[in-house]
Amino acid sequence: MKFLASRLTIGNMAIGAMVIILALLPVAGVPREWLPYVFLFLLYLAMANMWNLLAGYSGLISLCAPAFLGIAGYALAIGTWVSIPWWLGIIGGAILAGIFAILISLPIFRLSGVYFAIGTLVVPEALRIVFLLWRPVGGELHGGGAGYMIKGLVDVQMSTIYWLALGTAIASAVIMRIVLKSKLGLGLAAIRDNERAAANSGVNTLRIKVYSFLISAVITGLAGAVFYVYQGYLEPVSTFNVKWTMTILLATVIGGLRTEGGPIIGTIIIVFLYFLLARYAGYSLLIQGVIVIIIMLLSPQGIVGIMRNTRLYQSLSQLANRQLMAFKTE
Amino acid sequence: MEVLAGLPTPLVMGILLGGLYALLALGLSVVFGVMKLVNIAHGDLVILGSYIAFACMTYLGMDPIISLVIGIPALFGIGLFIQQFLMGRAFSLSAEAPLIIAFGIALVIQNTNQIIWTPLSRGLTTPYSLSSFHLGPYQFPVSYLLAFIAAVVVMLALREFLRRTYLGKAINAASEDRVAAQLMGINTKMIYGFAFAIAMISAGIAGVFLGMTFPFTPTSGMQFLIIAFGVVIIGGLGSMLGTFLGGLIFGLVQTLAGFFFGPAIQMLSIYVIVLVILAVRPKGLFGR
Repeated sequence: MKFLASRLTIGNMAIGAMVIILALLPVAGVPREWLPYVFLFLLYLAMANMWNLLAGYSGLISLCAPAFLGIAGYALAIGTWVSIPWWLGIIGGAILAGIFAILISLPIFRLSGVYFAIGTLVVPEALRIVFLLWRPVGGELHGGGAGYMIKGLVDVQMSTIYWLALGTAIASAVIMRIVLKSKLGLGLAAIRDNERAAANSGVNTLRIKVYSFLISAVITGLAGAVFYVYQGYLEPVSTFNVKWTMTILLATVIGGLRTEGGPIIGTIIIVFLYFLLARYAGYSLLIQGVIVIIIMLLSPQGIVGIMRNTRLYQSLSQLANRQLMAFKTE
Repeated sequence: MEVLAGLPTPLVMGILLGGLYALLALGLSVVFGVMKLVNIAHGDLVILGSYIAFACMTYLGMDPIISLVIGIPALFGIGLFIQQFLMGRAFSLSAEAPLIIAFGIALVIQNTNQIIWTPLSRGLTTPYSLSSFHLGPYQFPVSYLLAFIAAVVVMLALREFLRRTYLGKAINAASEDRVAAQLMGINTKMIYGFAFAIAMISAGIAGVFLGMTFPFTPTSGMQFLIIAFGVVIIGGLGSMLGTFLGGLIFGLVQTLAGFFFGPAIQMLSIYVIVLVILAVRPKGLFGR
C-alpha cells in the first residue's frame, strides 16, 4: 500500500484517469465519428513517443519511421494472403520491423548528425520503389502500385482495433519510462550531452544507440500494423511517405522535444488541427510548418517548455503536490 | 553487340543530366560548405523556382529562361530572409534546431505550392525544350543540353565570383574560419545571409532547367534533395570540380541503370548508390 501511495502523484492520477476514460470511449456511446480521431491520436502518440526517444533523448534525428510502419504493414498484408491470422501478422510485422532496423543499422550507424538524418531519409524512398515493383503474392492484378487488401478482417470490430491502438500507445509510454529510468536511459543522456566523453567513460555508445533504434522500430512497426488493420488496405506511395515522418516530427517538436509530456500535447494539437482542417489538407500541414518554426525559435522545448516557464504552472503544481503530501501523511 | 550499339545514347544523356544534377547540388554545397548546414528544404526551394517560372510562363507569357529576371531576385530575397530571421537564430539554439526548422520551411513551401498550383504534375514546356538535336546517328533532347550549358556557366560564374570579388573572398574566409574572419573585420552574419541567398539563386536557376527537363509536382522536392545530397557527398565540400564530377556520376548511374535494367530502376539505383556511399565513405569520395 505504501508502495502505491508513494507513486500517487497528481500527474500519475491524471494519467490513470485518462487511460480509463480512453479505454471506455468505444462502449460509452461517444459519437461514432470521433473514434477514428482518437484512434489516430493514440497511434501518432506511440510513434511520436518513439521519435522522441530517438531525437530527443538519443540525439538521433531519424527520418525513417515510414520504413518501419510500412514493413510491418506489408508483413501483415502479405501474411493474410497466405492465411496467417491478422493478430499474428501484427506481432510478426513488429518483429520484422525490428529485424529490418538491425539490418539497416549496420550502414546507418556509421553516420552521425545530419548524415544520419539523410541516410535514414533515403531508406523509405528506396523501399517505396521496391514495393512498387515487387509482387510477392496475388498475381499481376495485386501488389505493386495497386497495393494489397488485408484479408480476414470481416469480423474484426472497430472497438477491438481501437483497444489495440490504446495498448500500443500505453506500451510506448511505459517503455519510454522504463528506458529513461534504466541504465540505457542514463547512457543515452550521456551520449546526448557529449558522445566522446561518454565513450571514453566506458559507455558502449554504438550498442546503446542501436538498442533505442531497435525499440523505436518495433513500436513504430506495431503502430503501423494496427493502423493498416484499421485501414484494411495499403499501397506503397502513401505507406512509404514522408508525411508520416512530418506528422511524428511535428507532434514531438510542437509538444516539446526531450520531455515526456511533449508528444502527448503535440499529438493532441496535430490531431485537432487535422480534425478542424480535414477539408483543406494542404492548409493543415502549412499551419503546422509555421507553428513548428515559431516554436523552435521561441521555445526549443515546445509547449511543455513554455508551460514550465510560466509562474502559474509552477505554483499550481507545487500547491497540488503539497496538498497531496499533507493528505498522505494524515 | 546490339546492346553496345545503343550505349552512346545513355552515356551522352547521363553526362548532360549530370550537369543538371551538379547545378541542383551547387546551392546545397555552398550552404553546406559555408554554414555546415544541410538545408533539408533545398529540394523544395528548387521546386519553388520551377513554380515561379511556371507562373511567369502561364500568367505573363514569359519564356522560362527569361523569367529568371523575376525568379532570381525573388529567391535571393527569400534566401536572405530565411538566413537572417530563421536559420541565423537557430544555430545558437541546439544542434538539431536548424535541421527541424529547415524541415518546417520545406513543409511550408511544399504546401504553399500545393495550395496555389494544386498537386497536378506540371512542366515548363517551350517549343525548343521539346525539340531534339542530332549527334551522329543519335538524337538528344535540347532541354538536356541547355541544362548542361547552364550548369557550366553558373559554376564558372560562381567560381570567379568566389575568387575575385570582395564578397566572394569574404564568404570563403568565413567558411574556413569564422572567428578569424570576424577578427579581420568581416561581418559574418551578413556574409552568411549572402551565401544563403546566392545558394538560393543557383537553386532558382536549377529549378527552371529542371522544370524544362522533368515534370514536377509540389512533392518532387524530396527526390531532388536526395539526388543533390548524394552529389554533394560524392563531390566533397566546397569543391566545384567535385560537385561537377558527383553530378556526372549520378547522371550516368541513372541513365545506365535505366538502359540496362529498365526505367523503373532509375531512381532506386540512385538511392542505393547514396546509401552505399554513405556506408562506405561517410564523408564522401573526395571529402576532406
